[in-house]
Amino acid sequence: MSPHDHPPRFRTQFDPNNQEFSIAGVVRPQSIDELAPSITLLRDSIAQVRGVFYVNIKRLTQMNNTAFHVFSRVIIDACRTRPELKFVIITSSVVGWTTRKFTMLNGVEPNITVEEYDREFYPGQDFLEEGGFIPILRTQTRMTWRHERKILPRHGMRSGITMADICCGIGDFAVLVQKEFQPFRIVALDHSKSSLSYARKVASEFDVRGIEYTYGDASEMLLEDNQFDLVTCRHSLQIFNKPELILKELYRIVKPGGRVYVTNEKISQCLGEPRGESIQWTYEELSKLFAHFKMDLELGPKNRRYLIEAGFQDIRVESFMVTNLDGDPQEFADVVQSWEDTFAGEMARRRGDSAQFIERFRQGFQDHIFAALHPKGYAGWPIWVASGQKPL
Amino acid sequence: MKIQTFMSTWLYCDHMSTYLARMISHNRSDSIRYANLFSSAFNELLEIAFRTRHPGGELACKVSRLGDVDRIELTFPCTIEERQFFEEAIARAQGSESRERYLHSVSGDLAPSREVVLLELAIDYNATLRLEEVDTNIIKLIVDLPLESLPH
Repeated sequence: MSPHDHPPRFRTQFDPNNQEFSIAGVVRPQSIDELAPSITLLRDSIAQVRGVFYVNIKRLTQMNNTAFHVFSRVIIDACRTRPELKFVIITSSVVGWTTRKFTMLNGVEPNITVEEYDREFYPGQDFLEEGGFIPILRTQTRMTWRHERKILPRHGMRSGITMADICCGIGDFAVLVQKEFQPFRIVALDHSKSSLSYARKVASEFDVRGIEYTYGDASEMLLEDNQFDLVTCRHSLQIFNKPELILKELYRIVKPGGRVYVTNEKISQCLGEPRGESIQWTYEELSKLFAHFKMDLELGPKNRRYLIEAGFQDIRVESFMVTNLDGDPQEFADVVQSWEDTFAGEMARRRGDSAQFIERFRQGFQDHIFAALHPKGYAGWPIWVASGQKPL
Repeated sequence: MKIQTFMSTWLYCDHMSTYLARMISHNRSDSIRYANLFSSAFNELLEIAFRTRHPGGELACKVSRLGDVDRIELTFPCTIEERQFFEEAIARAQGSESRERYLHSVSGDLAPSREVVLLELAIDYNATLRLEEVDTNIIKLIVDLPLESLPH
């Protein structure tokens, strides 16, 4: 057996429109000869560009020093022969070694810089991951769990499975799943270090075992292909500006025959009585506010289309309404209050909304709370659920 | 494992580092990230052993953990000249000019030597390196990797 008996586990390509050369996968050659076509492509690509040449390594999971040296050599040589050219190496913060390793090249040639790309994909993340939001996230999960614990078995949840909860946030859903269904293994991934830190603390304090919390980018995960029986991704596609990229990754990591389960909202359909009109106006405006920050809080009913377009089959769709009658109405009111604080607070201010608008915007949330706590009132928050099977 | 068996297949380095990394990482604070980092470092060490010029003997590997530090002990045959090379390379990797040496090596024209790997482990992974002579033609490379405390 020789290295040539195996197909290469990496790929390189050049996108001339973006002047971007990308390397992805595991690059561990025995000799540089194995890289000859890729090196030729890199040299040819550099020869075609002007200004800035991007080297995209955000999906490069492993690269040995043999490969690092030969790729670096080409770039360093180009810096010397074409000093007008800038090289930007795009890394992902998820792959622990790449940024440190490639930043070394800046010490050799200042025209080589390294940028971690991750933030671009999460334009709204900072609104939602601030520490103050954590208690409310826990309450939200508790409210949706009353419904989801009955729904999940229809979408592939059962004991003994290997599952992943992608965009796990503070990890409380994974804990509830662990207690209720006892999967064999849960990998819970999120891109918020503060949320993961909280999740680990809770798991440790409550001695919850069997959940592996991992820092990761849902659109570029380190997880291997075809690993999980069930992959859940709740309330998350709606806050990414490119949900199809996440779905592609969910599809990749789920086993053939396994299912991907997603939940999303259609926030404009939050409702309540009395004061229904004011409530409706506010949630329609809330939907527009999220759209301004490239998040689609109307995504719920589009779950089915997204799953079909990602290649899933046997799509199962349902919806449920979290209401003030499910449990303690005060919990519902607390959640709506936190929405008002965040969305009519920092988020509206950042869009540049007028004081007059914000006042009316806030009123709808207050009316929703009024409906939730009214002895004859009804307040609802609808959630759309869908799952699809990866073809065998 | 007989060194000749090991050296018959380059992919053993990758397979062993990936397998072992997964096995030992499950109870780290971030198992996926840890496995990726550990595999990256361990693979380089295995590649060092793979390139030994000594024709016979055995490869042995022991991994242990103390707190946040994982220790890799890699025992493999090597020639006397190689042993001397490793002794000097480890001294340089632990020295104050290791970063400059590393940058010089990366920017140089020559293909990377095994010294680069040791330098990189010291600089990028905050590894502590040590060499023990087991026999005239056998060395033990001991590498302490504090991966859990590496900054993100």
